[in-house]
Amino acid sequence: MSDTPPPVRIESVRKTLMQRFSIVWVIPFLALAAALIVAWQTYSERGPLIEIEFKNGAQIAKRETELRYRDVTVGVVEDVKFANDLSAVIASVRVDKEVATYIDALSTFWVVRPELTTRGVSGLDTVLSGVYIEGSWDSEIGPKQTRFSGLSDAPLFNSGREGLQIALKTTPGGSLTDNSPITFRGIEVGRVGKAQISKQGNFAIAEAIIFEPHTNLISPTTRFWETSGFTFSVGPSGAEIDFSSLATLVSGGLTFDTFVSGGGPVVDGTVFDVYTNEASARNNLFNASDVATLDVRVVFEGNIAGLAVGAPVELSGLKIGQVESLSGIINAEAFGDSRVRLNTLLSIQPARLGLTDEVTPEAALEFLSMRVEEGLRARLASTSLLTRGLKIELVQVDGAPRTILQTGANDIPILPTTKSEIADATATVEGVVGRINNLPIEELLNSAIEFLDSAEAFVSNEDLRETPKDVRTLLAEVREVVASEDVKNIPKALNSAISRFETLLAQFEKEELASRLMAAVDAASQAASDVSVSVEGVPALVSEIEAVAAKANSLPLEELAEQLTALTATADDILGTEAAKKLPADLSAALKEINATLAELREGGTVTNVNEALSSARKAADALATSTEELPALVKRTSAVLDRASATIAGYDQGEVLSRDARAALRDISKAADAMAALARMLERNPSALLRGR
Amino acid sequence: MELAGQTPDIISARDMGIVACTRCTRVWPLGTDACGRCGKRLVSRDDKSLQRVWALWVVGLMCYIPANLYPMLQTRTLLRVQEDTIVGGAIELLHHDAVGVALIILIASVVIPISKFLAVGFLAISVTRPSTVSNHQRQMLYEVVEYIGRWSMIDIFVVAIMSSLVQLNTLAAVNPGIASLFFALSVIFTMLSAQAFDSRMIWDAQALDQGPGPHE
Repeated sequence: MSDTPPPVRIESVRKTLMQRFSIVWVIPFLALAAALIVAWQTYSERGPLIEIEFKNGAQIAKRETELRYRDVTVGVVEDVKFANDLSAVIASVRVDKEVATYIDALSTFWVVRPELTTRGVSGLDTVLSGVYIEGSWDSEIGPKQTRFSGLSDAPLFNSGREGLQIALKTTPGGSLTDNSPITFRGIEVGRVGKAQISKQGNFAIAEAIIFEPHTNLISPTTRFWETSGFTFSVGPSGAEIDFSSLATLVSGGLTFDTFVSGGGPVVDGTVFDVYTNEASARNNLFNASDVATLDVRVVFEGNIAGLAVGAPVELSGLKIGQVESLSGIINAEAFGDSRVRLNTLLSIQPARLGLTDEVTPEAALEFLSMRVEEGLRARLASTSLLTRGLKIELVQVDGAPRTILQTGANDIPILPTTKSEIADATATVEGVVGRINNLPIEELLNSAIEFLDSAEAFVSNEDLRETPKDVRTLLAEVREVVASEDVKNIPKALNSAISRFETLLAQFEKEELASRLMAAVDAASQAASDVSVSVEGVPALVSEIEAVAAKANSLPLEELAEQLTALTATADDILGTEAAKKLPADLSAALKEINATLAELREGGTVTNVNEALSSARKAADALATSTEELPALVKRTSAVLDRASATIAGYDQGEVLSRDARAALRDISKAADAMAALARMLERNPSALLRGR
Repeated sequence: MELAGQTPDIISARDMGIVACTRCTRVWPLGTDACGRCGKRLVSRDDKSLQRVWALWVVGLMCYIPANLYPMLQTRTLLRVQEDTIVGGAIELLHHDAVGVALIILIASVVIPISKFLAVGFLAISVTRPSTVSNHQRQMLYEVVEYIGRWSMIDIFVVAIMSSLVQLNTLAAVNPGIASLFFALSVIFTMLSAQAFDSRMIWDAQALDQGPGPHE
């Protein structure tokens, strides 16, 4: 309270700027400055806005969906709107300034979504976080572009996956599975992208990538083949089933190998062929050539079932190409009629022709046209006996009509053809088996049994048994003759003749020696010749006996049996022929009837007659079998036999029914004989028909 | 304050030739340099008060703009991240039928700050020119602004508490958005602005209102 205030100060009138304005104004100015700096900075750092067009805006959200590059966020979607005609969704993306310069015309964008494929799940993180847009661009700054159209799928080549970019092309008959893995020793080292069909439709081509650390596995000699699915093959080494992994079994895939070393590095964009299997890839390697193939056409007439795309084209057994495509062709102008012919397109690899100078399709064409003038022709041939596959062979036909290779300016040259050589083993084997199947084995056995019975009966025949007895008696008689007194007396007679001769000589000596001697000698020689005549008669007799024995011996029993069998077989063959079809069932019925008749007859006691008839028939059959040339005579004889048989049966007048049956049977037999005559004629014309069964 | 309703004419300390210490309220004769008791410099009228008010008011308003544009709260759940501005969050709550909470947020974060700006601005303007609003009402307004200003911070408290409580790693997390900083700054600056206002000037304005002088 006792404080005294300090003395009042006199303030100066003039106030400084600092005094007039409060220092606090610094704060808003600072704030303003800071705000402006931040605003300017934000603005200056703000990247450009690009517009990406998508077919649909699946889950793309404003301010949430990010644009990523190598999985780093480099932008965010600012706006999603429709295109003017509602045909697409346009996402406006604010891109970071530092990468914006790289986004040029070559950039690609796609939406990453969760995907479930046979090989696994991808983009799983987007299930929770939502989709994002992935961008890919190279590290070179190109012309600026702000409007892009997004891809529907992730591209194969993008900045996240560096690697060797190649293209894979199918070989004829092969196939490609797009988006499938390329594995090497079971490890995925690459990927096949979207496949496209070529404009001509003759192959499919797909881009593919081999990922970075594995690119050195690829060389120009590398061969790719499919591992998709499994292969099942039956070969000489047994059945084989082969598939590389379950994943490729489901989704398909490719693998590759470099069978030979060497070859430089492969540049991006190299095209490789994809073979259907490892074997063909391996085979191809050694024949491979970089030379373009020569296309040649061959027009075949008639049936070419069995010729397939990829079938080999061979020249002297060496594969020089393959069938590229097959189609029908109708060209009335060129071929004279409007029949459908087979147009085969061959691709011939000039490198395999062994051309010495330059290996080009032109040189190959020149070579072929030269050879065609000399008689080179194309023909179809079987690839193997068992399969019905066909190949095309180029063969030299001597004496072929002179033609030239038809070439046109824009036309594929046409190779002339020659007669095809198709060994249809299947048909032959089938025919053989069929004929074996049709062999009347049971009937033959029955016939054989019957024949053996007959033979037994024949052999046990009393007449036959008595033959040796007769021979013996004959010999005994001969011996008797030899031992007869007359024969024994021959020397005595000689002696007496000689003694008489001596006396005669003595007489001659006594009287007119010479002339008497001459007469005596004459008489003696006369006598001697008489004796020799009488002695010569003996060997002739013996030889006659021998002939009788030989005849008895050479009764052709075995031959008869064989020939009967042959006859039966032939008869069966006849039944199988066209001619026999005209009298199918009734012949066997007739045979049955005749059997019955014969049985009845046998029962009736006329066995001998019928046997005679039958043996005559057998003899006739013998004659038929021994010589086909004698067949007409045989037929005559057979008919004679039949006449005789019919006479015999007619003679056997035992009721009308039997007689009628027998006659009918005989008629049937004569029909059979006629058929046999027809067969005989046919056989004469074409003896080999017997072998081939037609 | 008790006098407000009784006598229309108030004689200010200045008119009486005295000056009160603003810190310890000891009254000194006009012209005293510093408070003899607490040592605070004595100023009858702070001539730079209005400047400070306006300066801080402007800063507060500047901060209030981003506070509303930027997200206040970042709610991260397993599946998505949600960022809400103040008004957006309130509307969201309305959609969830949480009308009460939404109203509290709206009042605390929108109505109060805006009315504070308006009130302080009005007071600052009204002391320099004639006004139809009575001095008492203006004084009352000032008191209310002073008192209620701090409640704007309720939003910041909510954000702070939520952020510290809801941190369940990947499952869910609440983080303060950038707007919360600006909002806090805005509230602070408006409070400072309101404090910078020398309420004694209200009564000087009375003289202006009533023309020649209070002594007639």
